[in-house]
Formats: sequence, structure tokens, C-alpha cells
Amino acid sequence: MDNILEINGIHTYIGQFHILEGVSVIARRNAITVMLGRNGAGKTTTLKSILGLTPPREGTVIYNGKEIQGRRAYDIANLGIGYVPEHRAIFRNLSVMENLKIAERKKGDFESKSEFIFGLFPDLKRLFRLPGNHLSGGQQQMLAVARAMVADNKLLLIDEPSEGLAPILIEQMMEAIRILSTTTTVLLVEQNFVMASKLAEYYYILDDGCTVREGKMADLVEDKELIHQFLGAALQKGGQA
Amino acid sequence: MRLGFFRRNATMLVVLGLIAVLGVIGWTTMGQQPFVRTTLSGLTIGALYFMVASGLTLIFGLMDVLNFAHGTMFMLGAYLGWQFYTNPTFLFGLFPLIFALLAGLVTSPILRSTFMHLNVSEKAQKTIQTAVALAGIALIVLAVRGLDILGLAETAMVATMSMGNPLAEASAQEPLAVFWFRPVLMFLAGLLLAAAAARPGDRTQVVYAGDKRQAWIISGSLAVLTVTATLFRESAPNAVLLWNGNLRFFAALAVGALCGAGLSAAVEVSLIRPLYIRPLYQVIVTLGLAYVLRETIQVLWDPLAYQMTRPPMFSQPGKAENILAWFSGQNLTVDVLGVTFPSYRLFIIVLGVLMVIALSLLMNYSRLGMIIRAGVQDRTMVEALGINVRKVFTIVFMLGAGLAALGGIGAAPFIPVQPNMGDAFQLQAFIVVVIGGMGSYSGAAIGALLLGLARAFGDYLALKFSLSPAIAEASTVIIMAIVLLVRPAGLFGKKE
Ligand SMILES: Nc1ncnc2c1ncn2[C@@H]1O[C@H](COP(=O)(O)OP(=O)(O)OP(=O)(O)O)[C@@H](O)[C@H]1O
Ligand SMILES: [Mg+2]
Repeated sequence: MDNILEINGIHTYIGQFHILEGVSVIARRNAITVMLGRNGAGKTTTLKSILGLTPPREGTVIYNGKEIQGRRAYDIANLGIGYVPEHRAIFRNLSVMENLKIAERKKGDFESKSEFIFGLFPDLKRLFRLPGNHLSGGQQQMLAVARAMVADNKLLLIDEPSEGLAPILIEQMMEAIRILSTTTTVLLVEQNFVMASKLAEYYYILDDGCTVREGKMADLVEDKELIHQFLGAALQKGGQA
Repeated sequence: MRLGFFRRNATMLVVLGLIAVLGVIGWTTMGQQPFVRTTLSGLTIGALYFMVASGLTLIFGLMDVLNFAHGTMFMLGAYLGWQFYTNPTFLFGLFPLIFALLAGLVTSPILRSTFMHLNVSEKAQKTIQTAVALAGIALIVLAVRGLDILGLAETAMVATMSMGNPLAEASAQEPLAVFWFRPVLMFLAGLLLAAAAARPGDRTQVVYAGDKRQAWIISGSLAVLTVTATLFRESAPNAVLLWNGNLRFFAALAVGALCGAGLSAAVEVSLIRPLYIRPLYQVIVTLGLAYVLRETIQVLWDPLAYQMTRPPMFSQPGKAENILAWFSGQNLTVDVLGVTFPSYRLFIIVLGVLMVIALSLLMNYSRLGMIIRAGVQDRTMVEALGINVRKVFTIVFMLGAGLAALGGIGAAPFIPVQPNMGDAFQLQAFIVVVIGGMGSYSGAAIGALLLGLARAFGDYLALKFSLSPAIAEASTVIIMAIVLLVRPAGLFGKKE
């Protein structure tokens, strides 16, 4: 099996709103795949649908060859899927240490990973005992990524890791994700096109709740017209970084 | 770092400082004796408030459920604990049935995979589900038909009425030869009900091997419990009544708390859980449940007020000169700083403090506590990390109800045991929760302390200036209003 994850034509509703109207995405093992698209295209909802936080009503989500749609979110996560949500969702009243420890799935997970994690994000070591709400936005983002690495995850869903980060931190985050991707598969959502194009091997473009284009990142970088058509604003944003 | 500690606990320090300042003012103006007496009364009430409010605040903070049945758990804890203490026949008569039902319920995951693989059309699934559920209920009716529950409760009433001798004639129970079929029917009913909940034929419900092994262990131990409870049903009550009264009292504390916890686990799983998508209904369900349980209690024990006798260690005649002397004398009252105070109420204060400590240890140093604190803020993220939040909900619901029930049985020896005894505590606990901040257990502790003291000093002032005692009751609401003006989210409120 080359594909750790296959999403086939999922439809997701939030309340009575039909948000996803046929999204299909494949994450190839040990590669970085990025989902692109305008604001409100449905990227975040796709990640939530994979995890079962907003379960899809139609279509299938296949992880390691098994259908997982319809299962409870905790159950899906326990299959080895890590999640770095939009806006970080750090536990503000828990210390940095607790934010990492809570992600353990079995005792000792954190101890065995701590060296690797602190290697990627040395800052966290210094902040270890501080409560989450004392961290800066960038530090919180690192903590959110680190939290997803504590358990033995085979697939990481990372939603806009560059959001609100200074350029130098974006570099650090990119480096971290690159190192991560040598051992885990990464499905990324990223508005920063420069970052996305440097990191990812495959891309999917979502628009209005549908997958509209897919292919190799290398080809997309060449295709200025396509970029302009679907990612107009995103490109500008990326251009500044 | 040291400065950080002060900054982080600023609210706590300010409130405690305020209480201390008021305390000094009170001490100097009131004189030592009235001050100490009033403070101790306040601490007693505050300890009980805390036991009710801490569960309420955690349940609301984590699950967004306003649990109007929380005061009922306080009342139930009092009744069941008092029953165990004075005449355990009632409880021991019911245990086999409850265990049998539970055993049936948890055995179903083992059989579930079979049910699920039946080939049934989607439409028929619903019909079968209803039919199976009805059959289960019918079996329960059959199982309890003719069982003299009322009679069992009545013997307990006789026991308390004949003051001085808590050892009642243990009422005659059905002989085993007649009784045995009841647990069997209950077990079958449990199987059917659980099968109905799973909807036979619905293949989308996946069953995992891990769950299965655990279910075997649990259902096996429940089956053993059922058989044991059935066999010892008749002899156990007498044996318990022959225990030393203090031992029986502490056992009653545990029984009251455990029964409250167990009952609300059942409530959470069967009534609250299906309604997480309809939060308003949850509130209504808890309200309805409170009425149903109260009426049930009234039918079983009549709407009378009972007094539970104090355990021997708090009832020897005379006054202990100090706490140490009480340990040897076990007197009814103790001299505290010149004030004669009932030793049992000191015990309640100690119990309250122990619970504050236990809860803060649990919340700060255990994984469960960490998950609860995280869940109060963002339970979706907790779930996304692979933690079964629903299970945590059930545990918190049990924990909260257990604490409230413990408060109830703890209060039983000095407030009348009657069907509405939990109402006032529930109301005050809601105020405590609002003052402390929803979801904050340390807020609940401070709030309970504040309200308890306010009540006691309010009563004192009302008596002194011959005002209406309504002043004391109003004082808690006034405190709430002030706190809300200064801090709309409560003193330690974090949830937004
Ligand atoms: N809770 C909700 N209720 C109603 N509509 C929602 C809700 N959450 C998201 N939506 C809608 O679903 C659509 C897709 O949202 P989603 O967050 O998936 O977009 P996105 O691609 O991640 O956008 P962004 O780049 O801004 O993060 C949007 O139109 C949004 O308004
Ligand atoms: Mg998004």
C-alpha cells in the first residue's frame, strides 16, 4: 500500500450547511501532500472529516486499507493520526509539559520522544514549566506541532502551521516539518504558497468544497495561470513571505 | 519565578486576604466566643457546600450540563447511607437485582458482534430494536413483581422510630428458593436492553477484540457479585448490624457515596449521553429526574423527616477539653478556643478539607485531572488526541455525584433526612459555582468557604439585631452579585 490515506468523494455537513461536496485526496506514504485553496474552500473541514470531528455523510475515508469514516474521533486518532489544528488549540491552563504529556497514548511516549522534540524545538525545553497561555503565538504553534509528535503517529494532519509566524520562525517550522516527514506522512494545509511549494511533493486544490486540481507540486509551480485561477489571494500572501 | 506564583494566584490571595481582614474585624468586634462559634458553623456548612458544588462545577465545566439532579444525589446519599447504617435490609435486598442487570448490560458487547452480523434490512432494524427493548422492560417488570420493596423500606422506618436501638428486627426477606429467579430475569433483561441499544443487524457498529476481553472480565466479576449478593442477601444485614457502630458509619459513608456514583453513572450513560446533541433537553432531563427520584423516595419512605443517630465516636456524653481529649473520650462536644462545639461537626469540617485536598491532588497530579482541566477548555482537541472524552464525562459525572452523596450522608446526622433536603444545598451550590467560576474546582472551594461563612455570620447578625433570618439567605446572593460585577466569569472562571 503506497497510500496511507485515501479520501474518496466525501460530503460533509455542518448543521444544515453542505460544506464539502465531493473532496478526494490521497496522502502517499512518507511524502508531504498539501491542500491548497482560498479561504473557506473547505480545507480545515476536510481535515476534521478525516478525524471524525465533522464526520462525512457520504464517501469513504480509507486509512491503511481500512474504512474509518463514521468511527468516533478518539478512535480514529488512536489509529496513529496526529492533528495540529488551525489556531493551535493549545491548552492554555496546562503547562507546556502537560500539553505534551496529555498526548501520550501509552506511558513513556513522551520520555522516548522528548529528545527528538526538543531537538526540533529547543525553545520548548526552556518553557517547559510555563502555562500554555504564557507562550507567544509562535511558541504555541511549535507546541502544537510537538504535541502531535508525542504519540507514535503514522500520519500528521497539520493545518496552517505558518499562520501568524514571523519569517524566521516560518523557516524553523519548515525545517521541522521536513525532518518530521522523513519518519511520518504529512498532510498539510497551507496558505503560504512559497512554504507549501518548497515542502510538498503533491498538491490538491480545493474550491467551494470540491477537489478541483491535483498533481505534483513541481508542475504546479510552473503553471502560473492555474495558481492565479484558484489561489489568487494565497499567492500574494505567499509572495510576501 | 516566585513573583510568578503571586501573580498566578493573585485572585486566590486577594480573596483569602479579604476573608482574613474580615476575620480580624469580626474577632475584635464580636468577641472571641461568638466569633469562633460562628466561624466553625460557617466552615461546617461550607464543607457541605463544597461537596455539592465541586461536582456541579466540574460537570458543567467539562460537559456543559447544568445538572439539576445534583441536589437529589445529595439526598439519595443521605437516604442510602442512613439505611445502611440503621437497617441494611433494604440495600442488601436490592443489590442482587442491580448487579444482575449490570452484568446483563455489560455482557452484551461480547454477543454484540453476533447481533450485528444478522442480515436485517434497515427498516426492520428499528422494529426489532423496539421489540427487544420492550421485551427487556417486560422482563424487568416480571423480575420485580411481588418483590416487597416497600416492606423493606418500612422495616427501616421502624428501626429509626424506635430510638436508642438502631438494631431492628431484620425484616424477613423472600427465601432464596423463591427469590432466585429475579436476578436471572434481571440478567436477561440487561442483555436484551443492551442489545436493543446497539440495534441488531446494524453492521456499521464495529466491535473490537480489545473491548471484548475487557467485557469478559467485567461481566464475569459482575456475575460473581450477583451470585454472592444473592446468597448473602439474608445474612448480610444482620452481620452488618452487629458491626461496631463506627465501622458501620464509615462503611455507610462509602456506601452512600458509591451508590450515588453508581446511580449517576447509569443516569449519564442512559439519559444524558444520548442527548449531547440537544443540550437543552439534557437540562430538562436532569430536572425531570430530580422530581422522579424525589417522588420515588417519598413513596418508599413517606414524606417524613428522619434523624440519623450519630456514630458512637461522636456521641459519648460530656465535653472533651480539647481535640486530643476527644480521641480518648469520643465525646459529643469538644471545647474549641473556649467554645463548646459538636464533635461531629468538626468531623464534617475535616471531611470537607480532606475532600478539597484530595480533589486538588487529583486535578493537579493525575492524568485524569489533567484531561479534565484540558477538557474544560477544549474537549474537541482532547478527543482529537485520542482520548475517549465520553468516558471521561461518565467518570466526572460519577465523581461529582459521589461527592454530593458523600456530603448528604455526612450531613444526615445533623440535618433532617427528608426528600427535599438537597434542594437548598443545590441552590447554594449553584451560587458557589457562579462565584467560583464555572469549571473551576478551586473556585468551588473558595466560593463554598465564602458562602458558608456568609451564611453563618448572616445568621449571627440577624439574631443579634433581631432581623429576619432572610438576611443570611440574601447575603449569599449579594456576594454573588458583587463578584459578578467585578468578575463576570466568576473568581476563577476561565471558560469563555
Ligand atoms: N461551524 C460552522 N458553521 C457553519 N459554517 C461553517 C462552520 N465551519 C465552517 N463553515 C463554513 O465551511 C466552509 C469551509 O470552511 P473551512 O474552515 O473548511 O475553510 P478553509 O479552507 O479551512 O478556510 P481558511 O483558509 O480560511 O482556513 C466555509 O465557507 C465556512 O464558512
Ligand atoms: Mg482553515
